[in-house]
Amino acid sequence: MALSKIDVANMLTGVTPVANGGTAATTLAGAGLAKRPNAKPIIINGDMAVAQRGTSFTGVSSGSNFPVDRFEFYPTNLGTYTIIQEALTSGEAYNNGFRTALRIDTTTADASPASTDYAILRTKFEGQDLQMIKKGTANAEKLTLAFWVKSNKTTTGQVNLFDIDNNRLVSGTYTISSANTWEKKVINFPADTTGAFDDNNALSLIVEFFLDGGSNFTSGTAPTSWETQSNGDRNANNFAIGSSTDNDFAITGVQLEVGEYTSSTLSPFQHESYGDNLARCQRYYYFHVSETINNDYDTTICLTSQYNSSSMKGYIHLPTQMRTTPTLNQNTGTNMYRVYESNSNATMTSISLTNESTFNTAVVNHGSSISVTQGSCGNLQTMDGTAFVAFNAEL
Amino acid sequence: MFEGCTIKYIKDTLTDENQSIMVTYPANENGISKAMSVPLDENNTDYQNILAWVAEGNTIAEAD
Repeated sequence: MALSKIDVANMLTGVTPVANGGTAATTLAGAGLAKRPNAKPIIINGDMAVAQRGTSFTGVSSGSNFPVDRFEFYPTNLGTYTIIQEALTSGEAYNNGFRTALRIDTTTADASPASTDYAILRTKFEGQDLQMIKKGTANAEKLTLAFWVKSNKTTTGQVNLFDIDNNRLVSGTYTISSANTWEKKVINFPADTTGAFDDNNALSLIVEFFLDGGSNFTSGTAPTSWETQSNGDRNANNFAIGSSTDNDFAITGVQLEVGEYTSSTLSPFQHESYGDNLARCQRYYYFHVSETINNDYDTTICLTSQYNSSSMKGYIHLPTQMRTTPTLNQNTGTNMYRVYESNSNATMTSISLTNESTFNTAVVNHGSSISVTQGSCGNLQTMDGTAFVAFNAEL
Repeated sequence: MFEGCTIKYIKDTLTDENQSIMVTYPANENGISKAMSVPLDENNTDYQNILAWVAEGNTIAEAD
């Protein structure tokens, strides 16, 4: 029996050859395969493997918090939480190759939040990384979001795609069927022919797991078609994580694909090496040094040059081009840092970015007064055990 | 967002121009504070948040 012809042109157009004399063309999708328009996972750190800021945070009740890179937990006046990067050792998520998850545990409940209160888990995207979705054109693509989730609560939660550029929203829901059991969820989102994403490095899209909220966010209906964003629709299916200290929520394997797939046609999660994953995370946050990761020894931040007796500058080349000129995050306090030169110390309470800094290089000097030797070079070091230096260019 | 923080320009001692903004959070019991040195870059999210805070009627302290 003659074998079918393997036609390179067919391979390039996504049509697969038909075996054993068949006549119908078979598409990649029809064969259960995906032709990803993106070489790398759209969602960075979807396996929750990279946690540069630390792996456990207690007493979390407000503001921006990153238990793992790229995934931000943001509660506002709605309960208190412990958030961790959880090591997995069993369960279906583990059996499918995931060794880490993001976990949120409610430690102080708020079962009656005020109307404006909320608790959100989200990840954000630059518009220039989303152009293959062709949003706002006649060729706009559908999207599929998949993830593994586990909770004590058997309830229905809501996840939103929030188009910041055009103030548009679409939602999907997921139901946790069995308590304390890893379940994989696959949610389809329609295409949107209205409102293109800006092609730049600014925030364009948020994938938002709305975990709890007051009446301002629960009064509407989850939109299954793209609509002008309405706050009341963002949490119409309230997961209510803050309602009891019994509550927890864990998630991993978060995957966003261009196209419409079912659990059986969805392409596998793209596991990246830790190094590749870390490098992609470092576009948004880069943990440079701390004493605690160096066995409490004073740790070099960078070399410095002393312009005169009261001025020095240090140069830190960032490991990847960051999204924008980053903020320098640090601890400050007496004798937190020092410039070590000529066998003597010039101590500092803080470090400051200069306006020569870019997305490639941080140029730093003393945030407070300093006395150094003109013409010398020195070693800018951590001095206090709590000292650290990190760079933040999150969206 | 910046409750209890001090928010102050830092000058470049060589040029005498503002080079960044130091946001310092309240100190803990050991006198240690978390802080951010924020570049004057409108693409930076922290700088955008400071500008929004200023738009609400607040003021960034001048550098020493």
